[in-house]
Amino acid sequence: MHKLGRGHRDKVQQFMAITGSSEKAAVQALKASDWHLEGAFDIFYSQPHIRTVTDSRHLEELYNRYKDPYVDMILVDGITLLCNDLQVDPQDIVMLVVSWHMKAATMCEFSRQEFIGGLQYLGIDTIEKFRDKLSYMRSELKDEQKFREIYNFAFGWAKEKGQKSLALDTAIGMWQLLFAERHWPLVDHWCQFLQVRHNKAISRDTWSQLLEFAKTVDLQLSNYDEEGAWPYLIDEFVEYLTENGIVQRPQN
Amino acid sequence: MSAQKKRTFKIEAFKHRVELDPKYAERTWKVLEHAIHEIYNHNASGLSFEELYRNAYNMVLHKYGEKLYSGLVTTMSGHLKEIAKSIEDSQGGLFLEELDRKWGDHNKALQMIRDILMYMDRTFVPGNHKTPVHELGLNLWRDNIIRSGKIQTRLLDTLLDLIHRERTGEVINRSLMRNITKMLMDLGSSVYQEDFEKPFLEVSASFYSGESQQLIECCDCGEYLRKAERRLTEETERVSHYLDVKSEVKITSVVEGEMIANHMQRLVHMENSGLVNMLVDDRYEDLSRMYNLFRRVPDGLSTVRDVMTSHLRETGKQLVSDPERLKDPVDFVQHLLDEKDKYDKIISKAFNNDKSFQNALNSSFEYFINLNNRSPEFISLYVDDKLRKGLKGVSEEDVEVVLDKVMMLFRYLQEKDVFEKYYKQHLAKRLLSGKTASDDAERSMIVKLKTECGYQFTSKLEGMFTDMKTSVDTMQGFYANQYSETGDGPTLAVQVLTTGSWPTQPSGPCNLPAEILGICDKFRTYYLGTHTGRRLTWQTNMGTADIKATFGKGQKHELNVSTYQMCILMLFNSADQLTYREIEQATEIPAPDLKRCLQSLACVKGKNVLRKEPMSKDIAEDDAFYFNDKFTSKFIKVKIGTVAAQKESEPEKQETRQRVEEDRKPQIEAAIVRIMKSRRVLDHNTIVTEVTSQLQSRFLPNPVVIKKRIESLIEREFLERDKTDRKLYRYLA
Repeated sequence: MHKLGRGHRDKVQQFMAITGSSEKAAVQALKASDWHLEGAFDIFYSQPHIRTVTDSRHLEELYNRYKDPYVDMILVDGITLLCNDLQVDPQDIVMLVVSWHMKAATMCEFSRQEFIGGLQYLGIDTIEKFRDKLSYMRSELKDEQKFREIYNFAFGWAKEKGQKSLALDTAIGMWQLLFAERHWPLVDHWCQFLQVRHNKAISRDTWSQLLEFAKTVDLQLSNYDEEGAWPYLIDEFVEYLTENGIVQRPQN
Repeated sequence: MSAQKKRTFKIEAFKHRVELDPKYAERTWKVLEHAIHEIYNHNASGLSFEELYRNAYNMVLHKYGEKLYSGLVTTMSGHLKEIAKSIEDSQGGLFLEELDRKWGDHNKALQMIRDILMYMDRTFVPGNHKTPVHELGLNLWRDNIIRSGKIQTRLLDTLLDLIHRERTGEVINRSLMRNITKMLMDLGSSVYQEDFEKPFLEVSASFYSGESQQLIECCDCGEYLRKAERRLTEETERVSHYLDVKSEVKITSVVEGEMIANHMQRLVHMENSGLVNMLVDDRYEDLSRMYNLFRRVPDGLSTVRDVMTSHLRETGKQLVSDPERLKDPVDFVQHLLDEKDKYDKIISKAFNNDKSFQNALNSSFEYFINLNNRSPEFISLYVDDKLRKGLKGVSEEDVEVVLDKVMMLFRYLQEKDVFEKYYKQHLAKRLLSGKTASDDAERSMIVKLKTECGYQFTSKLEGMFTDMKTSVDTMQGFYANQYSETGDGPTLAVQVLTTGSWPTQPSGPCNLPAEILGICDKFRTYYLGTHTGRRLTWQTNMGTADIKATFGKGQKHELNVSTYQMCILMLFNSADQLTYREIEQATEIPAPDLKRCLQSLACVKGKNVLRKEPMSKDIAEDDAFYFNDKFTSKFIKVKIGTVAAQKESEPEKQETRQRVEEDRKPQIEAAIVRIMKSRRVLDHNTIVTEVTSQLQSRFLPNPVVIKKRIESLIEREFLERDKTDRKLYRYLA
C-alpha cells in the first residue's frame, strides 16, 4: 500500500469498502483497469467470485446473537435486531436481496443453514463487513438479470408456506417495493385494478409474467398483443386501462 | 427351221413433238365457252356432255390447262357480274328472292361445269395449285355478288331488318331466310361470321339492351323474367329454323347478358316483386324461373343465394329476438320448424335441390338460432311438449318425422351441452310425473341423440329409463313380500333413482307426516335388505300424493298434490287453524317452496282447499290458515299444482347456465391435457384452435376460458411456459 500514491490509495479504500474485497484483490483490479474505479468494478465482478475466507467461529457467534431462544431459527425479533445492527430499516428492500443470497424459503425467518451459508457465500463474518456489503447488494438491483431473479424469488419467499398463490395484499406490498427500484409507471393502476376487480391471490405465472409485461409493453400499450398469451389478468388489466381512459390505445 | 436370233423390240417415242394446233386450242375453248354461256342461260339441254368433256380433256392433255382455267374464270366472272346487276336492280322485297334464285341457278351451273371440267379438276388443278372448280365457283360468287359494293350492305340490312321485324311480331319468310344463311355458310364460315353473324349479334345486343331498359321500367320482376324467358326461347327457335346451329350459344348469351346479367341487382331487389317477395309468398314458379335464368349468367346464382341468405338471417334474427315470440317456447320452436320447412320446399321445388342453396340455408339457421342463448332450452321444451301430449293420435311415422325435424334444429345448436342439461331435467320431470305419452317416442328420440352425439350423451338418459323400470319391479317385489301390510294404510309407489343419472336437485328438509312414516321405513328396510351398501334419500321435493278429503257438507274429494302439500294438509287433521310459522316449524319445508305451496292451496280459485286470513295473494309470516269446509268442485278428483316443465325463471336460468359453465371447465382441461400430451410443446394460439375443434360437437369454448384453464394447469404443474419464448407451453410429464 505504501508504494501507492495518495489518489490510488483512496481508490483502493473505496473499492474495498464497496466490494468487500481484500486489499490485494482491490489493487489487482484497479491496476488492471488503469486505476478507473468503474472499470475495476467490472473486472472484479466478472471474475469468478473470489471468496474471502470467513471465520466459521465468528459466523456461529453471529447466528447465535440473532437466533430465537426456543427454535433453531432466526425469527422476527432476531431480524429486527439484525436490521438494527446493520442500521437498516427492516422494510428496506436490501433485506430482500439478503434473503435472496441466503436462498431463504420464507420471509421473516432464516434457518441456520440459510443464514450461515448465505454469509459464507458473501464472504461476511462480521457485522461491519455485513454493513459494508449492503451498498453492493443494493447495486445488484440495478442489474437487469439479477433484478429478474430477485423479483421471481420474491414470490416464493413472500407467500405463505404451503400455499400455491401469493395473498393479494402481500403481493401489492412487494410490487410497490420492487417497482420503486425499477420504475414502472403503471404499478399503481395495476394494484388498484387488482383490488377492484380481482381481489384474490396471485398465481406464480401471473407474478412472473407481470415483469415481462412491464419490461416489454410500452406505456401506450401500442405493442400489446392480444394474441400474446399474456395471463388473463393482464388482458383484463389492459381492458381496465382502456375502459377507464387511463391509456388511449392507438386504434388500428 | 433354224433358231432365229432373238430380236428385242424397241418402241421409240415420236422423235418429233406432236403439237396441238394452237388454233385447235382456241377453237376447243370456244366450244366450251359457248357451253358455259348456254348453261347460264338455262340452255344446257342441247349440249353433249361427252363431247364437252372430251374437249376439256384434250385441252388439258395438250397442255392448254392454263388457258382453259383462266378462260373459265373470266367467263364465269362475266356472267356473275351480269347476275349481280340483275340482283341489284330488283326492288324491295324481291331482292332476297332474286338472290336466292340466282344462287340456286349458279349452283346448278357450277355443278354441270364442274362435271365437264372434271379432268382438269383432277389433274391440272392440284398440280398447279389452283383452286378447284367448285370452290372457285363459290369464291367467285362471293367476290362478285355477296361482296359487291351494292349488294353487300343491302343484303345485311335486309336480313337484319327481317329479323327485327320478326322480333317485333311480324311473320317473315323463314325458308327464304334459311336459304340465304345457308348460302353464306356454304361460302365459308368466315363469310357467315363476318358478313352476317357478327353484325347480327351486335344489333341483337342493342335491340335487347333497349328492350330490357323498357321492360324493367314497366314490368314487375316476375313479368320481366317471363318475358326474358320467352325471348330466349324465341331466339333458340330462330336459330333452329334459319341460322347456323353454332350461333345458338352466341345469341343466347347476348340475350342473357343484356336482359339478365345487366339487370340482376335491380331485378332481385325490386320492390314488391323482387326475390324477397317471391320467397315470402312462396311463388315457386317465379322462383324457379329466376333460378333457371340466373344460373345462365356468371354470378347469377350467387346473387340470388346471397339475397336469400341475408333475408333469412334478418328474419331469423328478428324471430329469435322478438320478446312476444319468446313468451311461448313451443310456439317459438314451431315457427323455426315452419320456416325451415318453407325453405326446404322452396329449394326443392324451385331451386332444383341445389346444394349450395342448402348450405346457405343451413348456415343461416345456424347463425340466428345461436343468437338467442335460450334456444337449447326452448328446443328441449318443444320436444317435452310433444312427448307429453302432443303426439297422441299421431301415427308412428309422423312421430318420426317430427322428431327428425327437431333433430335438424338440434344440429344447428352450438351449445349442445346446454341442451343436454335441459333435456335431462325435462325428461326427469316427465318420467317422474308419469307424463310421457309414448314410451316408443321417447326411446326413438334417445336413439336419434345417440346417433348424433355418441353414447356418452345419452348414457345417463338411458339410465333414467332403466331406473323407472327397475322401480316397477322393486315395487312389485315389495308388495309381494311379507313386509307389506294390506289394509287401509297408505299405498306407496316409489321410484328409486340412481344419483349420477338424474339431474341433481338437492332436496331440502321435510318432516313427513306420521301416517306415512311407517310404510316409508318398511320400504327402506326392504330395499336396503336386498341392496346392501346403498344409501337412500327421500326426495321430498319431487313426489306426489293422492289424499281423500271430506269437506263440510260431506262431499268427498280425492286431491292430487305434491309431497310438500301433503305434509301441510295432513297437519290439519289435528288442528283447524295454523299460522304460517306453525306450519313452517312442523314441516321444516324451505321457505320459498312452502310459500309457493300455500299459495297454490289457498289462493287459487277452484283449488282452495285451505282458507287464508288475510285474503291477500302473498304469504306473510303471521297469516293464518284454515281448513276450507266450504270447498266445492265439480270434479271428484282435484289436481292441485302439477310439476310440469316450465320455462325457467331468471334465477333458475342463471343457475343452470352456471352449472353448464362449471361442467365445461373440466372438459376444456381434459382437451388441453390430451393435446399437450401428444404434442409436447405448442404455442398458445394453436392450443386454442385445437381445443375449439375438439369440443365443437358439444359447445363453442370461449378463448378466455381456455386461457384461464391453461393458467390453472400451469399452477398445478401440468404445463409450464417455455423459458425463452413466453408464448410456448410445454407439457410436464
